[in-house]
Amino acid sequence: MSLVAAKDVWREYARGGIAALAGVSLDVAPGEFVALLGRSGSGKSTLLNLLGGLDRPSRGSILVDGRDLATMNARELSLYRRGVCGFIFQSFNLVPTLPAWENVALPLVFRGEARTARKTKALAMLDKVGLASRVNNRPTQLSGGEQQRVAIARALIGQPRMLLCDEPTGNLDSATSSQIMQLLRDAHSAGAALVMVTHDPELATQYAQRTVRMADGKLQEAA
Amino acid sequence: MNLGAMVWLALEGLLRKKGRNTLTMSGVFIGVFALTLIVSLGQGLSRAVTETVSGTDNLRQVGLTGGFGIELSNDPAEIEISGEMNDARRDRLRRAAVNRRQIRQVAGRRANAIDDKTIAQLSKLPHIESIQPVIVERYEMKLNGHQSPATLSYGVDVGRKRYADRVIAGSYFSGDNAPEAIVHEYLLYKWGMLNDGDYARVIGQKVRLKTIQTELTPEQQAPPMLQDMLRDLTEEERKAMQTLLPKLLKQFGQSNERRAAEREFTVVGVLREQIPGDPFNVIEDGNAVQADLFLPQETARELFLASAVNVELGYPRALVTVTDSEFAPEVEQTLRDKGYTAFSVASALKQIESVLLMITVSISFLTGIALIVSTLGIVNTMITSVIERTREIGIFKAVGATNAQVMTVFLCESALIGLIGGLLGLGLAALAMLPGDMLAVQLINEKAAIPFDQPVFVLPLWLMIAGPALGTGTAIAAAILPARRAARIDPVKALRHD
Repeated sequence: MSLVAAKDVWREYARGGIAALAGVSLDVAPGEFVALLGRSGSGKSTLLNLLGGLDRPSRGSILVDGRDLATMNARELSLYRRGVCGFIFQSFNLVPTLPAWENVALPLVFRGEARTARKTKALAMLDKVGLASRVNNRPTQLSGGEQQRVAIARALIGQPRMLLCDEPTGNLDSATSSQIMQLLRDAHSAGAALVMVTHDPELATQYAQRTVRMADGKLQEAA
Repeated sequence: MNLGAMVWLALEGLLRKKGRNTLTMSGVFIGVFALTLIVSLGQGLSRAVTETVSGTDNLRQVGLTGGFGIELSNDPAEIEISGEMNDARRDRLRRAAVNRRQIRQVAGRRANAIDDKTIAQLSKLPHIESIQPVIVERYEMKLNGHQSPATLSYGVDVGRKRYADRVIAGSYFSGDNAPEAIVHEYLLYKWGMLNDGDYARVIGQKVRLKTIQTELTPEQQAPPMLQDMLRDLTEEERKAMQTLLPKLLKQFGQSNERRAAEREFTVVGVLREQIPGDPFNVIEDGNAVQADLFLPQETARELFLASAVNVELGYPRALVTVTDSEFAPEVEQTLRDKGYTAFSVASALKQIESVLLMITVSISFLTGIALIVSTLGIVNTMITSVIERTREIGIFKAVGATNAQVMTVFLCESALIGLIGGLLGLGLAALAMLPGDMLAVQLINEKAAIPFDQPVFVLPLWLMIAGPALGTGTAIAAAILPARRAARIDPVKALRHD
């Protein structure tokens, strides 16, 4: 039984235009760590966005718990992202004006949780990623590695069943990258499935249980 | 949905661009400020007018005026302009004749005399509680060695305790028939009683009143309006007047031979001038405002009717009191239909209130332009904000915000601009009302004959709520399109936005 099952998924950006994805099928099992490996423009980020419900396929289906993301309306997709997914981006995507703890607590705002509950959970999560002393710092006052740790804490605070990571170490030096990957591995060990987009084959083989290669919008092989 | 959290996100967004949002807010602030002031002025003036006249029996009273019984036509077609002349001149002269007839009509409309018989008849009309003649008459007056050729006197309804509170020396009348008089402090001042202690010396003294005797011809004796009419009548109208004129002239002619009525009264009190805060009765005090001498109603009536011409002509005016203020306009109309000139404060008040409402509404519309302009400012600010925060909207959506939640954040942001602007506008308007009230009361008391101490700005609870609510509502309406735009942003594109 897969957590997410993409079947013959296409994503075309203009009618009859370039297909960013051309008939991709991929199953992700609960608790599985999958690396999507490929060059820029190979379609791996597009697939990640589709798996996370940020985008809809032009054709094909993406089944989650028996429901097809392709047929969900905007609200249902939002609730899917809120309940199932946690996103980690290469450029961190933190709200620059909010302190670290409020960035971490942001998903809870849209779940309707009260401020005190939000703060308690966010502080606990920041402690877990080693940022207990930086809770009130804004993103601009944090290093790249620290910002990515805030982003991981934000992704984990909703206890997602699947973490979707788009080049999570792309902007970081190798030492910091290791720390971040360790945090992701911890999250994976705690039970979350993990789909990571990367162009670094070493990172893929070192951490992922399965590596999927992509080129020109298609899957190349499974390792 | 946790609205508090949305408001918090909105507030955080607002604080990010303090300068821009303050400017946007100032539009709402000015609009609500001006609107609150205008509406509260309208409310205040309306209430001030109502409260000024609704005391005592103002709204239950109808003033009634009698007349000489001359009816003249006002239809230009019925007016013959003879002579060889061009049409333009004929039209002008016809118009001039009509205009002059209209003046006569004022006198002419007073077709019916008011005497004890007609008062008894009119009193039987529905909704009428009482009709009392208004006795205002000039007499030759002698008091304490002083003499005045034509002092204006006024008959006071003793039972209703009118003016009792204004007696500053001596006492009030003992009854409606008492041979007593109260003098006005201004008359005493004119007669040289300058010091406070002088009033006491007048109490208990005798005042002599005598009907004014004149040596004029009958035509001169007629009031100026009637003299004018007599000169101005066409041959045709003279015929119509044939039955009435001798009677009228006889009435006026009697004055040379009329019995000179003369009475002596005891001065029991001194009346002070009306001051702000005194109950003011439009019709009664309108008659009494220039009076220097006050007599009990029945005493005044007896003296008035002691003159034969007065018996013939009747009372110049009467005061009709209706059972309830709601019937005043109806009774007023009934009396007019019967050929009297009638005036009620209740119907005048309705007219004043509708005029005030019209003025308030029209100025409010003008003021509303400020709010419309501020709406455009809000639209601009919100569109800019949505564009600037596109990436943030993408983040919101990635972490699970629904389109409705994204929209709510931006609507809250705009609502806060409207609410804060509205509250500031309301607050400043409330502050501005304090000096505004003082200035207005001062100006009105300088210019108006009626003593006035009512606030002219009134801020009722509904306006305190409506002002900021209007600001907030306007701001929310202005933000709907930008907020929808924010809600519909594609999260993938938004997350790539710089």
